[in-house]
Amino acid sequence: MEGEADRSDASADASALRKKHLAMLERLSNRHQSRPDKPDPPPASSSSSSFESTSSFLSLFGESRRSIESRLAQCRLADPSLLKLHFDEISASIADLEKLVAESSYYLPSYEVRSSLKTISDLKQALDTLSSELIPKKKFSFKNKPARKEPTAPSLKGADAENCDSMPAAKGGSLAVAVPDSPGFRNRANEVLAKDVRGLEVGEFTLSDLESCEVRLIGCARALFVHRLRNCRVYAGPVTGSVLIEEAENCVFLLASHQIRIHNAKASDFYLRVRSRPIIEDCSGVRFAPYRLHYRGIERDLEDAGLGEEAGNWSKVDDFKWLRAAQSPNWSVLPEDERIETVDISDLSA
Amino acid sequence: MGLLSIIRKIKRKEKEMRILMVGLDNSGKTTIVLKINGEDTSVISPTLGFNIKTITYQKYTLNIWDVGGQKTIRSYWRNYFEQTDGLIWVVDSSDLRRLDDCKMELDNLLKEERLSGASLLIFANKQDIKGALTPAEIAKVLNLEAMDKTRHWKIVGCSAYTGEGLLEGFDWLVQDIASRIYMLE
Repeated sequence: MEGEADRSDASADASALRKKHLAMLERLSNRHQSRPDKPDPPPASSSSSSFESTSSFLSLFGESRRSIESRLAQCRLADPSLLKLHFDEISASIADLEKLVAESSYYLPSYEVRSSLKTISDLKQALDTLSSELIPKKKFSFKNKPARKEPTAPSLKGADAENCDSMPAAKGGSLAVAVPDSPGFRNRANEVLAKDVRGLEVGEFTLSDLESCEVRLIGCARALFVHRLRNCRVYAGPVTGSVLIEEAENCVFLLASHQIRIHNAKASDFYLRVRSRPIIEDCSGVRFAPYRLHYRGIERDLEDAGLGEEAGNWSKVDDFKWLRAAQSPNWSVLPEDERIETVDISDLSA
Repeated sequence: MGLLSIIRKIKRKEKEMRILMVGLDNSGKTTIVLKINGEDTSVISPTLGFNIKTITYQKYTLNIWDVGGQKTIRSYWRNYFEQTDGLIWVVDSSDLRRLDDCKMELDNLLKEERLSGASLLIFANKQDIKGALTPAEIAKVLNLEAMDKTRHWKIVGCSAYTGEGLLEGFDWLVQDIASRIYMLE
């Protein structure tokens, strides 16, 4: 009895298995048939059919590519007022092409996918170049338009809005010529540039495009921007906000500030007093030492800027291009015997 | 139940908002966060990596992610995009030379799909510095009017140094997020 029961169980199992197996085969074949490009899926012919669809993809792709290219070429001759429309259409065609590649990518050889994507990105590039060439972007520039400001300012505080009347005229005037009138020294060579800002209300101060100059800055500024200096010496009193230096080569800086950021500097020495850690990014051969500047009353200015004490931060440099525990090869502490003596700029023009 | 509605439910219970704060280096992001939280702002090093601050604001809990803005680490911003309810873009209004960079980075950020639902607050910071551009001027440079119409945005002038304008900005942001997440069912 037991044996029989076993057998019938076993045969029931076997038939269930067979059913499952058949059902699965059916599902598989259904799936095969539902694939659009392979109506007839015997395994032997699968390689040739995939080849066929690859080639049909390639011809379709090539065709639309040529059509896009020729339309791009026609754009140069097209009516300028219709250009925007043309570009939109072309851009849509490129998007379609991209979609085609995405849809076909599951059966395409990876080389074809890569090269098609490359082609598409080239087309996009060409379209971008052409559209920026033929439809010039409205470039932002500062212009003197005194009437526009107040109504569009959503968040101007009441007090500001009142004195805005006089401000924009003065400010607009300076902005109209690309802001060269904000305090600073620009485009100079072989000069001693000196400025005493004590008693003046100085916001940001800019040093840019200086070659072989010596800069002497007495008093406190709120912010200092330094851009493109070569062979310069910069002696500056305390900056209560931050200093941002970009592109300096063969320079010496004496700076005191809350924060100092140095980008793209080469072969330069920095004598710093700073309340936080100075940082460098994309720099090489930069060296650091403590601040060594003197003018009559500098102690008072340093005190006012919260820089009365030397906190020793000048040597705690963070290199954003060297995020490891080991010392960065891009900067070093300036050896004591190579440091300059304290610089006295009490007499500005000396 | 979709994932989105689950997230909404969880968030509603805890009244939590995730806020991502980005912008160029030297724009004052960390100072803003510390100032709004009533902390000392006199010694702040440039951010190497990121800071997270959890603060209680009105009846909400804000998780503020303050991510460093140095060029080298901007490419990591995208690691913080997920589930951002509010985006704060901080501009140094006195740094005229880098406004182009600022516009470019913001444009890139706004193309990001994962941030497409986030309310955008732009802080035109450093208004206390003489010579800084006004919020209206910054809006013009950044071409904010041309932004996608579906985006909720606002530009607010502020000074992280004095604290002026910070509450106005955060009030708007929190209200805007709240009206989207908690009322919309």
